Amino acid sequence: MIGKELIGKESESVLIKIRSEAVRRFAEATGIALSDQVPPTYVVTLTQASIPGLELPLPGMIHGEQKMTYLRPLYVGDSFSSKRRIKDVYERPGKLGKVTFVVIETSGCDLAGDLVFTSSSTLIAPVEGEGE
Amino acid sequence: MKSLLNYQVTDRLPVRVWAPDHVQVRQYAEASGDFNPIHLDDNYARQAGLGGVIVHGMLTMAQMAAMLTDWIGKEGELSKFNVRFEQIVRPGDTIKCSGFIRARSESTLVCDLEANNQKEQRVLSGLAHISIQL
Repeated sequence: MIGKELIGKESESVLIKIRSEAVRRFAEATGIALSDQVPPTYVVTLTQASIPGLELPLPGMIHGEQKMTYLRPLYVGDSFSSKRRIKDVYERPGKLGKVTFVVIETSGCDLAGDLVFTSSSTLIAPVEGEGE
Repeated sequence: MKSLLNYQVTDRLPVRVWAPDHVQVRQYAEASGDFNPIHLDDNYARQAGLGGVIVHGMLTMAQMAAMLTDWIGKEGELSKFNVRFEQIVRPGDTIKCSGFIRARSESTLVCDLEANNQKEQRVLSGLAHISIQL
């Protein structure tokens, strides 16, 4: 079960290095042209540090929104430290019963501590016992 | 090809047409580490009320990203990229990604984005900011 008490919960800060082999696989799988710059959505696949109390994926969970902001480009070989935080949790009626929205924010900072990107994911899951 | 500097409000971006299949969804699961069974297991996805497997939203967003990065080339940087997943995309669909210039300043292009399926339903909407290298 997931509720408002999770708002504000954070992951540990995790140091991540962008590896050329993994970027190449991502580019091949998506059809994005390979370059020295990291494909814009690639970092979302890396920043999955767990947040205490939140077990993902929730059953039947889908992705509702994704937002990304880059303060500067990221290059293959760069390292960054990433942290995730639960920004919001709320319920709303959906087509098939009540659903829970979970908004998770991720930040990426370079080794000097300067912010490089932020990402916000809105995930939608059916509330257990509701619908059908 | 037209330089980014010459794009004006209402100009359309070059489109990208994309036909996802099960092979690509499996490949994306492996490349992204997202093995949520709603993308890979038809029975599971049906039980979850989704009517069968669905394509990762992030794979659809990556197609929009590919449309943008092919267009931008080395002339600029994507500084903001927001999308909303509006309808489910399934293997076998044909998706057309498109966009136009909503606003511009000397060095920034603001683009409205959308992706539509073969039934002309909008599956994704969004916005991008591109900083032009002057």
